[in-house]
Amino acid sequence: MSALRTVRRVFDWKLRGVRWVEIIGLMLVGAMIFSVYLAKAAAASESARIASLERQITENGQRVRLLRAEAARLEQPGRLEALSRAAGLAPVDVHRQATEASLPELAPVPEPEPVVIVSPTVPAAAAPVAGPAAEVAQ
Amino acid sequence: MSVHDDPHAWERPAPGRPGGVPLPSWRWLSEAMWRIEHSFGRARADARPEEDTRVRIFVILMLFSAVFVCLALGAANAALLAPRGGVGSIGHPNAVSRADVVDRNGALLATNIVHYGLYIDPAEVWDRRAAAVQIKRALPRVSMAKLNRVLSGDRRLIVMTGLTPGERAAVHALALGGVTFEPEDRRVYPLGASATHVLGVTDTGGQGITGAELAFNQEIRDAGARGESFPLSIDLRVQGVLENELALAVAESQAKGAVGIITDVQTGEILGMASWPTTDRLNRATSAHYEMGSVFKTFTVAAGLDTGRADMNTLFDASQAFMIGNRRITDFHATNQVLTLEEVYLHSSNIGTSRLAVEMGPATMRDYFTRFGLLDAAPIELHESARPRRPTKWDDSTLASLSFGYGIMITPLQMSAAMGALTNGGRYIPLTLRKGGLPGAEARQVVSPQTSLTLLDLLRRNVVRGSGGRAEAPGLRVGGKTGSANKLVNGRYDPTHAVGTFAAVFPADGPVNARRYSILILIDEPGTYPRTGGFVAAPAVGRIADRIAPFLGVQRRADPYRTALGEKIPAFEDVEGDGR
Repeated sequence: MSALRTVRRVFDWKLRGVRWVEIIGLMLVGAMIFSVYLAKAAAASESARIASLERQITENGQRVRLLRAEAARLEQPGRLEALSRAAGLAPVDVHRQATEASLPELAPVPEPEPVVIVSPTVPAAAAPVAGPAAEVAQ
Repeated sequence: MSVHDDPHAWERPAPGRPGGVPLPSWRWLSEAMWRIEHSFGRARADARPEEDTRVRIFVILMLFSAVFVCLALGAANAALLAPRGGVGSIGHPNAVSRADVVDRNGALLATNIVHYGLYIDPAEVWDRRAAAVQIKRALPRVSMAKLNRVLSGDRRLIVMTGLTPGERAAVHALALGGVTFEPEDRRVYPLGASATHVLGVTDTGGQGITGAELAFNQEIRDAGARGESFPLSIDLRVQGVLENELALAVAESQAKGAVGIITDVQTGEILGMASWPTTDRLNRATSAHYEMGSVFKTFTVAAGLDTGRADMNTLFDASQAFMIGNRRITDFHATNQVLTLEEVYLHSSNIGTSRLAVEMGPATMRDYFTRFGLLDAAPIELHESARPRRPTKWDDSTLASLSFGYGIMITPLQMSAAMGALTNGGRYIPLTLRKGGLPGAEARQVVSPQTSLTLLDLLRRNVVRGSGGRAEAPGLRVGGKTGSANKLVNGRYDPTHAVGTFAAVFPADGPVNARRYSILILIDEPGTYPRTGGFVAAPAVGRIADRIAPFLGVQRRADPYRTALGEKIPAFEDVEGDGR
């Protein structure tokens, strides 16, 4: 019962005849309107940016299409063959073709030369000093 | 409140009650309202007038609360659960009206490029004569008459459509007033004449008119809307080799026209299809009819083997001409001896195959020709695929003609499909331009796998020891049959108007379901002598097989007849040496 009374007292708490509750409510509404305005402004600028990026994508896409078409025109088999023939190229004769498996027959892999590790010949006099250094160098 | 001051005011009947409003919901609503009104009256009657106001305030409060709750729910729904992407992302960013058409490896065949229409508003042009001269210099293909007409007019008009981006830049760089451009989407075929008959063309409105553009019109548009490209079964490398070699063969034989088709016999996919001359709008591969000559002996022999009426050692008397009524059938290379079926095939004996066909009879021949699809248009997506010209009567003379490829005119595509069926284990698979084969295509068994294997060996032997020797490609086990026919000119078969064909398959060895490719080359009216298929078409087949094998992953290998490098194993000789 006392809680209800407290609530009623807060509700009836007034500033120059206006309830505080109403003042706080109005302030909250004002804050909400302002934040909605901010959010909408931000969204509008974002969507303008998205639209400009999409326009750029479309333009780049068109340019890519143009370049692909140009590449396809330059790489068409008829043109390449004419150019190759003009350069004196021709299909490789079967006797000059080889598969990966036949490579060892065509050019045998040379035997690896034995690696000779020459033990350092150290002058007898300097042996106690130079010995550890030579080992490091090995 | 004054309305209710009259104590009898609430005694009046509810409106519509006696008349009976037809809709029950309206009736329920009006009753509810009147009940509330009456409750005020009752409250006053019970001397509790403050209840009246309270109830009214409560009702209004509830109404407004309900409206605000609805609004709040709607707003929350719109804010949280709205579909993704509002502004600017309707549709795909790369969407185009028609998708790019690409080959099976993604190489570009057809695309949409933005072109520009050139508009001039003469009111904004300062010096019209100078402008005309400058524009003509920057854009040589513009019509001067049209340009002057627009410049001397009084309103903004189009001068020219289809300016390429380069041309637009050149005109734009003149910095002339009143000159504007408007973008227009245009179909471009960067390969020019290459694969032109397969691709076809579209009209300016973006609808396919011929070829794959027409056959897959809706699918290409749908793929474009999704921003994807549309792949065909064509392999551009194979197509390029086919076109180049076909052009070479035509140049060598001075022919009027030529056709080349390469297919995968196991899937029915077309890897390359060319029709020469490329300037001719007619696609000879799909729409031209030819009597193909001896290539048909393959089907006659296959029918004979498959019915069990003959085997390789069955003997046929080719020692003298075969008489059907007054008609005398002779061999081009008379052997004048009794031949086995194999020799009949390798010597390309008309007498032998005629005897076999007449023995089998019209019902069997017709059955097998139907099975091989020789009596119907080739099943393929292209709308150009034409129906064959079929014989009207099936008497002995017709059967004899059919057995060696006369009396029936078919399209090269039909021949390619039939050769595929004969060499893939006997399954007739509809040809397709779709990458990966026709989805859900059902293969029709036309001959037994055993017959198919026998024919594969026979085709191979025909290249090794028969008329197809010039089609040999080292290590690729090419098998094939030549065909040479004379054309009917003014009612007579004229030997100067011939058709030379070579229907090949490689590799011809291995099991029936091994990867295998068919090559069909047809040379229309060769101008050089000899005009037979073994001379005009077979060399092109050999060169094509040699060049496309690496693309298709066919390894060079030895078979019982030749080494991997093409050297003879036993000493075979070309029995005739003239490639008939």
